[in-house]
Amino acid sequence: MPASLRSKSFVVLALLPALLIFLVFAIIPIFWSAYYGFFDWKGLGAAKFIGLNNYEMMLQDPIFWRALKNNLILVASAIIGQVPIALLLALLLLKNSWFNRLLRSAVFLPMVLSTVVVGLIWGYIYHPQIGLLNQVLEVLGLDSWTRAWLDDPKINMFAVSIPINWANIGPYLIIFIAALQNISSEIGDAAKIDGAIGWRKLFYVTLPIIWGTVVVTIVLCISGSLKAFDHVIVMTGGGPAQSTELLATYMYNNSFTIYRYGYGSAVSTMIILISALLIGLNYIITKRRG
Amino acid sequence: MKKRLSLIVSVTTMLALMTAACGGANEPSSNGGSGNAGGEKAKITVWHNFSGDDLRAKAVRELIENYKTNNPNVEVDAQAIPVDGYRQRLSTVAAANEMPDVFFVYAGSQSQEFYDAGLLQPITELADENPDWKNNFMEGAFDRFSFEEGQIYSAPLAMSATSFLYYNKDLFDANGVTVPTTWTELMAAVKTFNDKGITPIALGNKAPWVAQSTIIGSLADRVTGTEWFLKAVKGDGASFTDPQFVEALSKFKELVDNKAFQEGANSIDNTQAEQYFVQGKAAMMVSGAWTLTNLAASATDEQIAPIEVTTLPAIEGGAGAAGTISGGAGGGFALSKKTTGAAKDAALDLIYAVSGPDGQKAIAESNSMVMYKMELDESKVSPLYFKAFNLAKESGITPVYDAYLSAEAGEAINNGLQGLMMGDKPEDIAKKLQDAQVRSTQQ
Repeated sequence: MPASLRSKSFVVLALLPALLIFLVFAIIPIFWSAYYGFFDWKGLGAAKFIGLNNYEMMLQDPIFWRALKNNLILVASAIIGQVPIALLLALLLLKNSWFNRLLRSAVFLPMVLSTVVVGLIWGYIYHPQIGLLNQVLEVLGLDSWTRAWLDDPKINMFAVSIPINWANIGPYLIIFIAALQNISSEIGDAAKIDGAIGWRKLFYVTLPIIWGTVVVTIVLCISGSLKAFDHVIVMTGGGPAQSTELLATYMYNNSFTIYRYGYGSAVSTMIILISALLIGLNYIITKRRG
Repeated sequence: MKKRLSLIVSVTTMLALMTAACGGANEPSSNGGSGNAGGEKAKITVWHNFSGDDLRAKAVRELIENYKTNNPNVEVDAQAIPVDGYRQRLSTVAAANEMPDVFFVYAGSQSQEFYDAGLLQPITELADENPDWKNNFMEGAFDRFSFEEGQIYSAPLAMSATSFLYYNKDLFDANGVTVPTTWTELMAAVKTFNDKGITPIALGNKAPWVAQSTIIGSLADRVTGTEWFLKAVKGDGASFTDPQFVEALSKFKELVDNKAFQEGANSIDNTQAEQYFVQGKAAMMVSGAWTLTNLAASATDEQIAPIEVTTLPAIEGGAGAAGTISGGAGGGFALSKKTTGAAKDAALDLIYAVSGPDGQKAIAESNSMVMYKMELDESKVSPLYFKAFNLAKESGITPVYDAYLSAEAGEAINNGLQGLMMGDKPEDIAKKLQDAQVRSTQQ
């Protein structure tokens, strides 16, 4: 019955169950967790109200700042790595030949793999003794380049970010291909007549048309990088000596390894605040462009 | 995006509540019903972490299965939870006060925290009914499970011996190195093996408890003595910033600086290090009794044949005794405070079925260390395990660090040792450990 579908009350009613579940399992826990963030609580026994002490401790903890820095490295690597590579691949694989379809599936494959599997595979690639990467370097005569990739604190965050980018390119590729296929062929023809080919066509015709999509992928990159957790837990566990700690692993280790539930809750609240801040920044920047 | 993020955050924070809710759903039936109703089935839930493919896990699961077969009137819901997630799973249900009836609990800080939170009830009546059984345990077996005078809250299923020095006899012979009995000899051996291109000591410290549990407990005890450590834990006249502990950390750093461990030890796990060692690429490995079990399950007889076992070398001028290994009573099955009536009787029977004399024997014959005195039949176990079992019986036992430190301090020393391997200073690590121990034991 279209009439009742159009009525607002029916829409509200239909959304209610989903909304309720979302409220109970997503929204309320955020406030709940923010509330725990004001306590010194081990998860067991009595909780002691300590006001903003947890936040004070967090801001004084160098590990928190390192975790934040590592998260920002991930955000940056995603934006300068995933987006351009996915766009380039989309441009190359646009045509629907069987070979292109095969390549597209290959690029998408890591997305289908469990992140634990991805972590284990790359753990072996980076293995200091029997790792593929070091062996390839040795074969190429680049012995001085071999190292313990996940161990050396100068480079391990970058070593960790490569598999994360590798595993996440797939969806962006699909999004870009969809956006490119939506450009009508008349625009291409017109560009050709006007002499816009190659790079010129890409920068003056194609990119401006799909700019909205690019912005969306950047937003997805930011959110994806801030929630990064599983690959790192499998590959390094945030170590060695917390050198690859992310905000999420920092929160997890505090809450579930050393039983500082109150502090862990404060950290998770902080993650929300930081995300909100980045979302806000992103909103301002994209609005100006528009 | 907001939705996605909030979902992720909430999934992590809600984990506790959700598992708690699931546990709650199973719970009531175990306590329900009157214990005297003859035909009624008692129902108990059991959580343990013997989920692996190793012989001990299989032995324990079989003991539980046997109990089920012998007690058709008891409905047993046994859940084998992977070791890696077990601590967390248990902490989350503990936070909601929804413990299973019977659960495997680690000796040390975890059982202490559960006791403090009022989640445990004693199993002393089992010991009263079977005095021979209780008296057969080795000294100190119940130390970590006697929270009050005259009561025991669990019986250890294992002895966690964490610091055997395994060595490859063939590599020692081939390179003319004698098995080190002093620190000087150890450092000389490290140098010789490095010169020959053999890794002196295999270490897989990706999960950062490894170096702490296997090396530093025993190494530091040689330098500081046990008494000092127990005082430092309590903050009673000793502190981890004391020069002797800094000296102990420096000894560990000496190993690192002389390249005793293979490159990248912090990025491979313990099992990978075991493989590296058993393939003859490293001359030694400091590891716990679990390595016996792992090797028995995965290595060939040929690979195991040259492997011998001894204790870490003595340290000249140190305050601690030589010839000791770090270890203590392992975990055992505990009883939830909320379990009563017929379910409680069934739960106690089950605990005895697994931890009693027959259970201890079955576990020992699965090549696992136990805290229970018995004559071991050499033909039923692996030769390497037989050596280790007898070595452990003769050696003194010294504390494992993380069994006595608070969880937070344990994490501080774990990360600190990784830091030492990456160039941090012993003094700074000592201070971080002391600060963490003080902060977490103040309240």
